[in-house]
Amino acid sequence: PVQNMTSKFPSGPLAKAAQVLARDGPNALTPPKATPEIVKFLKQMIGGFSILLWIGAVFSWISFGIQLAQGAESPFDNLYLGVVLALVVILTGIFAYYQEAKSTNIMASFSKMIPQQALVIRDGEKKELPADQLVVGDIVEIKGGDRIPADIRLIFAQGCKVDNSSLTGESEPQSRSCDFTHENPLETKNIAFYSTTCVEGTATGIVINTGDRTIIGRIASLTSGVGNEKTPIAIEIEHFVYLVAGVAISIGVLFFIISVSMRYKILDSIIFLIGIIVANVPEGLLATVTVSLSLTAKRMAKKNCLVKNLEAVETLGSTSVICSDKTGTLTQNRMTVAHLWFDNQIYSADTSEDQTTQPFDQSSPSWTALSKIVTLCNRAEFRPGQENLPIMKRVVVGDASETALLKFAEVILGDVMNIRAQNKKVAEIPFNSTNKFQLSIHKTDDPNDERFLLVMKGAPERILERCSTIMINGKEEPLDSEKAEAFQTAYMELGGMGERVLGFCHLYLPENEFPDTYSFDTDSMNFPTSNLCFVGLLSMIDPPRSTVPDAVSKCRSAGIKVIMVTGDHPITAKAIAKSVGIISATSETVEDIAKRLNIPVEQVNWREATAAVVNGMELKDMSSQQLDEILCNHSEIVFARTSPQQKLIIVEGCQRQGAVVAVTGDGVNDSPALKKADIGIAMGIAGSDAAKNAADMVLLDDNFASIVTGVEEGRLIFDNLKKTIAYTLTKNIAELCPFLIYIIASIPLPIGTITILFIDLGTDIIPSVALAYEKAESDIMNRRPRNKRKDRLVNEQLAIYSYLQIGIMQSVGAFVTYFTVYAEQGFLPSTLLGVRVNWENNAINDFEDSYGQEWYQRTYLQWTGYTAFFVSITIQQVADLIIRKTRRNSIFQQGNKVIWVGIFSQIGIALILTYGLGHVTALNFTPLRFQYWFVAVPFAILIWVYDEVRKLFIRRYPGSK
Amino acid sequence: MATLKEKKTCSERMEDFRRFVWNPETKLFMGRTLINWVWISLYYLAFYVVMSGIFALSIYCLMRTVNPYEPDYQDHLKSPGVTLRPDVYGSRGLQIYYNISDNKTWDGLVTTLQTFLTAYTPAAQHLNINCTNDTYFFQDTFDGPNKTKLSCKFTSDMLQNCSGITDPTFGFPEGKPCFIIKMNRIINFLPGNGTAPRVNCTYVGDESSLLEVDYYPVNGTFNLHYFPYYGKKAQPSYSNPLVAVKFLNITRNVEHRILCKVIGAGIISDNVYDPYEGRTLLKNT
Repeated sequence: PVQNMTSKFPSGPLAKAAQVLARDGPNALTPPKATPEIVKFLKQMIGGFSILLWIGAVFSWISFGIQLAQGAESPFDNLYLGVVLALVVILTGIFAYYQEAKSTNIMASFSKMIPQQALVIRDGEKKELPADQLVVGDIVEIKGGDRIPADIRLIFAQGCKVDNSSLTGESEPQSRSCDFTHENPLETKNIAFYSTTCVEGTATGIVINTGDRTIIGRIASLTSGVGNEKTPIAIEIEHFVYLVAGVAISIGVLFFIISVSMRYKILDSIIFLIGIIVANVPEGLLATVTVSLSLTAKRMAKKNCLVKNLEAVETLGSTSVICSDKTGTLTQNRMTVAHLWFDNQIYSADTSEDQTTQPFDQSSPSWTALSKIVTLCNRAEFRPGQENLPIMKRVVVGDASETALLKFAEVILGDVMNIRAQNKKVAEIPFNSTNKFQLSIHKTDDPNDERFLLVMKGAPERILERCSTIMINGKEEPLDSEKAEAFQTAYMELGGMGERVLGFCHLYLPENEFPDTYSFDTDSMNFPTSNLCFVGLLSMIDPPRSTVPDAVSKCRSAGIKVIMVTGDHPITAKAIAKSVGIISATSETVEDIAKRLNIPVEQVNWREATAAVVNGMELKDMSSQQLDEILCNHSEIVFARTSPQQKLIIVEGCQRQGAVVAVTGDGVNDSPALKKADIGIAMGIAGSDAAKNAADMVLLDDNFASIVTGVEEGRLIFDNLKKTIAYTLTKNIAELCPFLIYIIASIPLPIGTITILFIDLGTDIIPSVALAYEKAESDIMNRRPRNKRKDRLVNEQLAIYSYLQIGIMQSVGAFVTYFTVYAEQGFLPSTLLGVRVNWENNAINDFEDSYGQEWYQRTYLQWTGYTAFFVSITIQQVADLIIRKTRRNSIFQQGNKVIWVGIFSQIGIALILTYGLGHVTALNFTPLRFQYWFVAVPFAILIWVYDEVRKLFIRRYPGSK
Repeated sequence: MATLKEKKTCSERMEDFRRFVWNPETKLFMGRTLINWVWISLYYLAFYVVMSGIFALSIYCLMRTVNPYEPDYQDHLKSPGVTLRPDVYGSRGLQIYYNISDNKTWDGLVTTLQTFLTAYTPAAQHLNINCTNDTYFFQDTFDGPNKTKLSCKFTSDMLQNCSGITDPTFGFPEGKPCFIIKMNRIINFLPGNGTAPRVNCTYVGDESSLLEVDYYPVNGTFNLHYFPYYGKKAQPSYSNPLVAVKFLNITRNVEHRILCKVIGAGIISDNVYDPYEGRTLLKNT
């Protein structure tokens, strides 16, 4: 059948491939159908406060209709008001929609940026192609660790095992061969499926299905469309909207009833109701929140956290548990030589990301011998054309261990390829799992030495078996039991550190037996493979990223539990956990205690152990209660040898504890856990598209430390949103009181509805956004994550403090300004009370003021009143902005330059409105005498002093009330 | 994204709320202990008392700083408004309709005028002095009783045929109605720049026919000795000078638009946005 297939789809000219590609489309899954844009748009139009404002607008139009029908004098005011309200809703809706679309686009562009690569043979040439360029008939090569780039039929396989868990849920790797074993494609051994992983071995196959026609594509198209649940910040904002809307509606209805019972006309009462709603609703706030979130998202993107969903920005801040992958996230995701053992001594190697030299002692002749084996007995090669890159960044063709050795040698010895060229290889036995060694025979670069050099590396115990001597300080010494003991100790020690240990030995073949022309045959092994000379051990580990230990300790002080979930061996997992601080130096696992006390594990009181290393096999047998117990009782947990399904179980377990869980993942099979998590974090480099799709956030550098930056930003934005909301809510009272007093005391209306909109959407916007730039108050990463049930974005204290204290002070200040303006223009406060009906009666054009003057120009005075009220709210909002800048710290303790932009913009906009647009009738502003700007200043200072005193008390007596 | 929302039944919610109002275990009333509530109430009480005090103090200071005799600013009183009696408003400004033969339709108008003129009876004006100078009546000192300034007398008989004395029906039954025009009081306002401002009424839009008007006092002038006005406190008995106009040739059953302007320097009468500034527009049938 293979012949048939290859002839049917010749792996031939590129043109053919292009043709097939054009016919079948790219080899990628069609993303799940997105919500139609229009639905998204409409959602923005009716979400949040919009519905209240729509009600206001509709009421305005109704009253316009009634007034028009009654033939009243100026019905158009209400028409305009309705139109303005509708415009506000539509504009903020468009803005929010635009913001959302923008962040979606970032994501879309990103997923194209790092495509999966596939090693393809086309035109008899091996090349790496983006996986989506694959077409049916392509021949691809895969090796352990690769994701299968399409459904392929194997034509060559060597020790190939695949992890089909994303398809079948079976986490046990299954072996794959070229044999057709079953009619069912899912069962047969010679097909590997798209998006599954090759765990080990190598294979070559022909692509038989691409894109949506692959098995997983068919499944994916069936199961797509998983609903998105709400993020914590969305819940907070909803809570806030409910709160404010509740206040608005209840005050509105209350005063509607009051005004009706005070014998106001129903129509008037409705107009009051609109005013109250408009005053209560912070029109600009949701837009401000969106802007603040996207500012943070941008800032996070700069720090390599790409946020797909704006609201997820904050989720990270409330995270209390991070379930992190090991490989690639905590570690560098590349094997690196960590230790060496030769001359009976262990040497440590530098494992940092950017090593350029190795510090250990390289003077011993044993090292020279060892380095020669390391260099020669190695099939890995640098991809050409990377001479200018740092060694650690170069791409290598070869498996992980060999890559590590190659780079290690390159760092120390320089040009490895050149050394290999000078020591020409004459024979080679590659590594396989039966004999567990790799061997090669070389001519030496010493022209005087005609001997062949046999070099071998492999599993240390197997290598040792084949040796009869050991090299100490360059001299071969017999391998006695004492030396073997020393070897065992070193081997155990290195293995105990979770490192992969390789043994190295060599033999100079005697010249007389193996002359220059000798033909080596690797099948019959016509050369000695025992009685070799043992040279040394090298151990490798995927070392932790250098930034991770610091990040973990930051998490710890921030009250975030870091749980490592890995498929690796428990020993390796524990070693890495210890080295990055997930298991701290002082804490012990049950096993550690048992070892220390020299008692069996069963006798240890497991409550004494703060750390735990849980094996996937144990986890399988655990009930959810047992898991809960472990999660509760141990502060430091490592899950090793876990399957993706178990990852999901762990996430659910954490969520049962009430934690906000962040999960990192890269594979297709991590998607359920990523989706289940409160915030799924996909790896940008190693991550599969499926993982990136399921995640809320993508770590561009795959680095755990970036998560911590994200947490910090998330907490900061929560704090800052709190400030923004407090700032915005405060003036609501100062906008609301005028209406209430107007209704009750029948004074001329102090501030108009349009004017209120100018505050909410004009002067207040930039300062609210400026608060998003506020820096963290000192303790941000030293406090526990917020409790999502108790620490609300808007709690009673915040609302009450804003509404009933600062808001009242603002209202008093604004009213003093209002009365001052009226008094100095002729209407003393005593005259104003109860004048509303006559004041608003257009038939009275000789309205008498306190000095006996007669007025018909009252509208202008009323507008002057509006302007004065507006100006004094603005002035006091400056104070409000200053006090909201910090919640605990004094203003003297914390600076923020953007705040100045906020303050100046606020005053600037107010100046433009009053003096620039003061002559535009429709806006109801009049140029205001300059001194009225200062009437509210004492009140602004009062607000500031009052709040400083409050902060002083909070700092003095933390924790009370 | 996992859900953070727990579904609760209504009864659970009610129970939660009841526990919130009064938690018997922790003895918390609405989340706080009773004594805590008392302290908070006291704090708020004190806070509001202080805020009221500050407000009262501010108003008190304000009252201390304002001049009792004249307002500090007259930003919006550059030019006086002109008003008409009787004042009956329709949907588009002053509109007066009546039926000559049906006295009920004009009774109200007459009563309005009579009531308006009661302030101008000799009895009502007895505190004021007779003025004869045709110049501004400046008073730098308080010459009147109780630290007041003197005001000039304006009695209704100065309106002659429209005074309501000779003709208590103000000419309404004859179809030659009287209207009284008044200029709004503005403190220290000096109209006319030395010449007395006068009222002039014309048809609007219909320039061909000439409106015949009798003005009382003669020429329809406001005598300068009524100006300047020094305010209610200085001139408690001041009353505005009036001009009465009697339309002599109004065609019946036709809607007329009549514009009466006060002409004089300092009186703006052509501001389209301000229908009453310096003029009054009357529709009359």
